[in-house]
Formats: sequence, C-alpha cells, structure tokens
Amino acid sequence: MQIDWLTVAAQIVNFLILVYLLKRFLYKPVTNAMARREERIADRLEESREREAAAERERERLHERMERLEERRDAILEQAREEAEKERRQLMDAARDEADAARARWREEIEHERGGFLEALKRRSAEEFEHMARRALADLADVELEEHMLQALVARLKDLDDETLGDLRQTEEPLAVATSFPLDERRRETLRDTIHRRIRDDADIELASTPSLLCGIELTAAGRRLGWSLADYLDRFASEVDKRLDSGREAPEREASQQETRGHGDDAQAG
Amino acid sequence: MTISPDQIVLWQWGALHINATLAFTWLIMALLTVGSWLITRRLTTGPELSRWQNLLEVVVTGLRDQIHDVSRRDPAQYLPFVGTLFIFIATSNLLTIVPYYLPPTGSLSTTTALALCVLIAVPLYGVLQQGPLGYLRHYVKPTPLMLPFNLIGEFSRTLALAVRLYGNIMSGTVVVGILVSLTPFLFPIVMQLLGLLTGMIQAYIFAVLAMVYIASASSASRSSGPQRSTGS
Repeated sequence: MQIDWLTVAAQIVNFLILVYLLKRFLYKPVTNAMARREERIADRLEESREREAAAERERERLHERMERLEERRDAILEQAREEAEKERRQLMDAARDEADAARARWREEIEHERGGFLEALKRRSAEEFEHMARRALADLADVELEEHMLQALVARLKDLDDETLGDLRQTEEPLAVATSFPLDERRRETLRDTIHRRIRDDADIELASTPSLLCGIELTAAGRRLGWSLADYLDRFASEVDKRLDSGREAPEREASQQETRGHGDDAQAG
Repeated sequence: MTISPDQIVLWQWGALHINATLAFTWLIMALLTVGSWLITRRLTTGPELSRWQNLLEVVVTGLRDQIHDVSRRDPAQYLPFVGTLFIFIATSNLLTIVPYYLPPTGSLSTTTALALCVLIAVPLYGVLQQGPLGYLRHYVKPTPLMLPFNLIGEFSRTLALAVRLYGNIMSGTVVVGILVSLTPFLFPIVMQLLGLLTGMIQAYIFAVLAMVYIASASSASRSSGPQRSTGS
C-alpha cells in the first residue's frame, strides 16, 4: 500500500477539471432543460386551466341560452295551444250555429211540406167527403145536396137567437152569402125571402160563389157567420189531423232536444 | 501481481511520470465529457426525449433527490461536487468489466485525492454557508474540550473514506486476479459481477458520506441535522 503523491496531486487536479467539465456539459444543460420543460408544462397547465375556465364559461352561456330557448318554446307552445283552443271553440260554435240553422231550415221545410201535405189532404178529403156525402145524401133522399144545404141555412136563420138576430138587424153592412155552388134563381129567391122575412126587409144581400167553402153555404155579417159547410167539418178534421201530427211530432222533437242537450254537455266537458 | 495501477508507469521524464491510474482517469474523464457533450448538445424541452437524454435526466434527477434527501436544502450548489464524485467513481468501477482495464479507484492515490477533496470541500461549504466563525465554532461544540477529538474525527473520517474505497475496489481486483490463476472458469465472472455491485455501492457510499459531511458542517446550528453512520 503506497501513495504516489504526484499522482494524488494530479488526481486532485483531474477531479476538479472533471467537476468543471461535468458542470459545463452535464449538470447545467440537463438542469436547464428540465427547468424549461417544467416551465412549459406549467405554462401548458395554466393554459389548459384557462381553456377549461373558458369552456366552463361557454358551457354556462350555452346552458343559459338553451334554458331561455326552452322557456320561449314553452311560451310559444302555450300560445299556440291557446290559439288552437280558441279556434276550436270558434269552429265548434260555427258548426253548432250551422247545425242549428240547418235544423231550423229543415224544420221549416218540414213544416212547409206538412202544410202543403195537409192542404192537399184537406182538399182531397173534402172532395172525397163531398163526393161521398153527395152520394150518400143522393142515396138517402131524392133531393140535391145544395137544396139540403140551403134548407139547413134557412133553418138556421129561423132558429137564430135574439142577440144574433139583433146584431144582424142593426148592421149597415150588406149581408154576404157565400156558396160553394152556383145558386139558381129559385133558390136565390128562397134565400132572399127568408132573409128579408127573418132579418130585415131592406136588407142588402150579396150573393157570391166561393169555391173555398168546398161544399157549403154561409152568411157573414156584423162579425157573425151562419151556415153550414163541409169546410167546417174539414177544418175540424184538419185540426184533428194537425193535432195528431203535432202529437206524433212532439215525441221525436223531445228526443232530439234531449240529444242536443247531451251533445252540448259533451262539448262542455271536451272544452 | 499488480496490486495498484500506480505501479504501471507508461511514460517517465525525470521525476514526472504518467502511470495507468492517470491514463485511465483521463480516459474516464474523456468518456464522460464527450458523452455528456454529445447528448446535451441536442437537448429537447418538449415531452419527447431521446433515450440518452432520458438517461442523463434520470441520473441528474436521482442525484438531486439524494442530495436533497440528505441535506434538506436546494441541491443545486452541491450537485457538481457530489454528483461528480458519484459519477466518476461509479464509471471507474463499472468499467472493470472491460478487459485489461484497471480501475483508478483501485489506487490509493486516487482515493486519497478524492478524500482530500472532500476534506477541503467540507470546511469550504461550511464557511460559505455560515461564515468562518460560524463554521469554526462547531469544532468547540459541545465543549472546547472536544476540539482535539473533532479534529481527529475530521482527519480520520477522511482517511476512512480513502481507505474504504481503495480497499473494496483493490480487493475486488485482487480477488478476481487470484481466482483467475486458480479457477479460470466461471468463478472470476461471479466475483466480477459481485465487484460491479460492490463498485456501485461504494460509489453511492462515498458520495452520500461526502454529502453528509458537507451537510453536517453546513448546518451546525441545526442540532437535528442529518447524521449517518460512517461505517461501511
């Protein structure tokens, strides 16, 4: 074991040189590089934090915008719903009015047709009735139907009560005698005589033939009417038919009105 | 049998001579310097590193961490001295696997030179850190009676540093030399592997002990300063 002091001195110098060289070529560059890398990493981290913050702000902004859009959309939808409801009600009302109008029109047409039908029925019945009565009377007696009607009027004139008779005698109006058939001269004379005798001698008599009586004879004056006419019977007959028709019509109408009420109730529930 | 590379004189001119110790030391110096220069001339600061740069960064970072662990201070000022101690000794020891190479650390002259460097560096760092008086005061602590013992301890640990490293490395070389002459196969290789391990451990011990001495001298005011065993 020996120490060469020259070598020791040389090694000390060598070591110090090596310290310098390594410091120059190893420690300083590597340390600097690591420091720069750390700095860059720190910068990047900072940058990424800033980006994250910016992204967060952007996200919040978009979130708020989306919420506003949703609120607006809800408002628009609500408004559209209200408008649709309003429109629906208007359409329902219009349809109901139209249906009511159609029903009224229909009812009017029905009424009209029924009136026409009743008129025709009345005429037809009167004709048939007249015809049958004529034939019946002809079969029963050998006198004409007109003669019987005239006799009936004459009989009524004779049986007049005092009140009616007084009214007829006091009136200034001409006494209108209407017949459904033309009177021959003999019958006219008979009628005039009867009236003059029974009511007043100077009574003014107007004779007229009125087909609307169908089959009959009547005397009209001072707001009173005397006579006999198949029209009276037929009027009663017609009113009876009306009554029957009305009673027959009331039942479906009641049913229809009940249905209508129920329909309104459904609408109200739907609304 | 050659025990020390000092004995191999390559060139001599009067009293001056160049022996194998110096030659191999220069070789190691050239290797380290050129290698460092080649790698560090193209350093990148991006996330992608070359493998050599990565190696250097691992070495430097490891040294800095070790120094920081021991001293609890910024390692920048200690790194060149302590780091060079470790790298030089480690390289010197690892190259023993190269045939015909004799480690300079197997020479008592080299280890003595390194220990003397530590002997000088310790008060130097202490004075730099605490001032001359502050540094000298710790020789008379806890009592002036301890002054001779502190001085003896200062030199004896330097001697221990030098002899420990020299003994370990030289013995490894000698053991391999003896085994080669006795059982030339297999056993010398095993011993050489063991020598690599021993060499790395010795480099670590030498550097850490130097750091401990420097740290204890630099932080005398801190009674809880790092204390390490000086035994090997």
